[in-house]
Amino acid sequence: MTTVLVVIAPLAAALLTMLFRPLDVRRIARIVLAVAAAALPLSLVGRADWLSLLFAGIVSVIGFLATVFSTGMYSVDWGRGRAMWTRKSVYFVLLGTFWSAMLLVVLATNFGALWFGIAATTLATAFLVGFSGDVSALEAAWKYLVLCSVGIGLALLGIVLLGRVSLELGLDPAHALEWSAIAQHHLTKAAPPAALATAIMLIGFATKAGLVPMHAWLPDAHSKAPAPISALLSGVLVSCSLYAIVRTLSVAETLGAGDTFRQLLLAFGVASIVVAGALMLVQRDLKRLLAYSTVEHAGIVALALGFGGPLGLTAALLHLVGHAFAKSAAFFAAGLVQSASGSTALSALNGQWNRGLPGRFLLGALVALGGLPPFALFVSELLVVAAGIAAHQWLALGMAALGVMLAFAALARAGIAIESGDAARESGVRLGEQPSGMSIGAAAAALVCAAALAVVPWTGALR
Amino acid sequence: MTIELLILVAGAGLIVDTSTARVVVAYVIIVGLVAVLAAPATLSASLTLAFFAATCVLKLVAAPIALWEFARRNAAARSLRPAIGLPVRLIVVLAVVFAAQLVPRVPGLGSISHAALAAYVVLCGLAVLVVHRNLLAQVIGLLVLSSGVTLAGVVSAPQLPEAVELGAAFDVLVVTFIGLALVRAMITENPLLDIESLRRLRG
Repeated sequence: MTTVLVVIAPLAAALLTMLFRPLDVRRIARIVLAVAAAALPLSLVGRADWLSLLFAGIVSVIGFLATVFSTGMYSVDWGRGRAMWTRKSVYFVLLGTFWSAMLLVVLATNFGALWFGIAATTLATAFLVGFSGDVSALEAAWKYLVLCSVGIGLALLGIVLLGRVSLELGLDPAHALEWSAIAQHHLTKAAPPAALATAIMLIGFATKAGLVPMHAWLPDAHSKAPAPISALLSGVLVSCSLYAIVRTLSVAETLGAGDTFRQLLLAFGVASIVVAGALMLVQRDLKRLLAYSTVEHAGIVALALGFGGPLGLTAALLHLVGHAFAKSAAFFAAGLVQSASGSTALSALNGQWNRGLPGRFLLGALVALGGLPPFALFVSELLVVAAGIAAHQWLALGMAALGVMLAFAALARAGIAIESGDAARESGVRLGEQPSGMSIGAAAAALVCAAALAVVPWTGALR
Repeated sequence: MTIELLILVAGAGLIVDTSTARVVVAYVIIVGLVAVLAAPATLSASLTLAFFAATCVLKLVAAPIALWEFARRNAAARSLRPAIGLPVRLIVVLAVVFAAQLVPRVPGLGSISHAALAAYVVLCGLAVLVVHRNLLAQVIGLLVLSSGVTLAGVVSAPQLPEAVELGAAFDVLVVTFIGLALVRAMITENPLLDIESLRRLRG
């Protein structure tokens, strides 16, 4: 029952907020209720497993930061007196639905509930991606809906095939889709359709994670959504999809299909890093650059999982957590820059460093995403390299290194533009509203988390 | 045997035909026959039966009416405007039939009854997504894909009908209603509902 409460809390909080009529009171209620919803997963300590708790923590913290950022960022937009159903309240209800669906994904104990959570994220985010009503945003939402629906359809197909394997192993139908029940079987030879079932599940979840070649929806959806939604899509939803892949990997290994699964992960990982790295170099829009960077980082996680072993898993998990915070910080900062300058074109970034906190946060986030110290991604990428060396996967490691260098070059170019020159003053870019303290605080908090996580490997928490 | 033959013909119609109305009829035939095949597995528990009934209402009544109404009100939606010529579409049908026949030969799948049929429906759904340019065809393709997954679930793991039916119902709900809502929002800017217009977004 507690898990159900934890899962529905963000949605319930968004709905409850609508009962407060004066807009100022509603804003305060929104933050207070979001704090409560974000803190609730702590009640599961000792009951849920550590992996679920880790991801529930990521979902809750970034879900909360996105709510705070949105409350600050959109304080002047959409205000329509005392109406209950404003356009803004619909936005927050969809945000709450998205947050709840992601909690369902990470707190589920079986693939059926996990699949339902992944499918439910589509329900909320298709509308959030197209929320601006701009035709390009609607088309991005369409692309997202179609490609992700194919992905989740395939994932369901894989799950029912997995159910057949479980039943043939003698599992009770009520527990046939539970990974803990399947883990009790240790097979030396693959159960016949296990490799096929887990491979189809991988393709399905990889579509939602944006791994190449199923990535076509991601740059459009992530760049057209409002900034806090982009942060959740890139930082958290991709992490939730990769979490589903981690769970599927554990089941594939139990069923004797781990080698095939890891080979597929290596192929998806290398392709994602190289393709995204190359495409990052030709981007002209900051949010599209960040979206392709998400594909690259999802590829690094897939690569680490493909290398296998405890080192590969540790690297993948640290990378996932570090990326979630760094990418959220980057999208928050991009939202602040967009709010202040009215543009997300890379050409408008020149001299942003001198124009205040948004540009500085953005540069910090780009440094984090580039894998430089003191951020967690620096440590996790070192661990990925170590895992690759331990697995003797020289070709995959070499190709991935090439892709990472391309991505680094693209991020460095954007970073140099931010730090140098003051062309933004001369380019005729419209000066917009100044971002609120709440939004700046959310961006700062995400960036601090991305840096603070770098100390995790030395605490022994991931051993 | 009659059911298999009808599904084969209706599946080919989905890929080859260009009239939205006829394709919706072919869709109803496929989904109806899949429901007939799936029905016995859903009778074991009342919860499963409820999910099954809800899915049938959504797939066989709500979705076709919504698609039909949409096509009736928007002239541009009456043709699915295929992206490839008739000979190539016929080759796609043959390729789908051939690929579906191979599925029972995959180790572990040979013992599943109707495995080839389920694969055929799934592949027809995927084919409809790529051979037509009208956005409505993509909604129909996703619905057919979902029916194929339902059939695959029912024939491969008949003891897990709740998971399959709940998944199918949710899938249909998401695809039909979000899909049509987005199409409706886009129609003013993209009156032909042409997938080609999405190319301005480069993935």
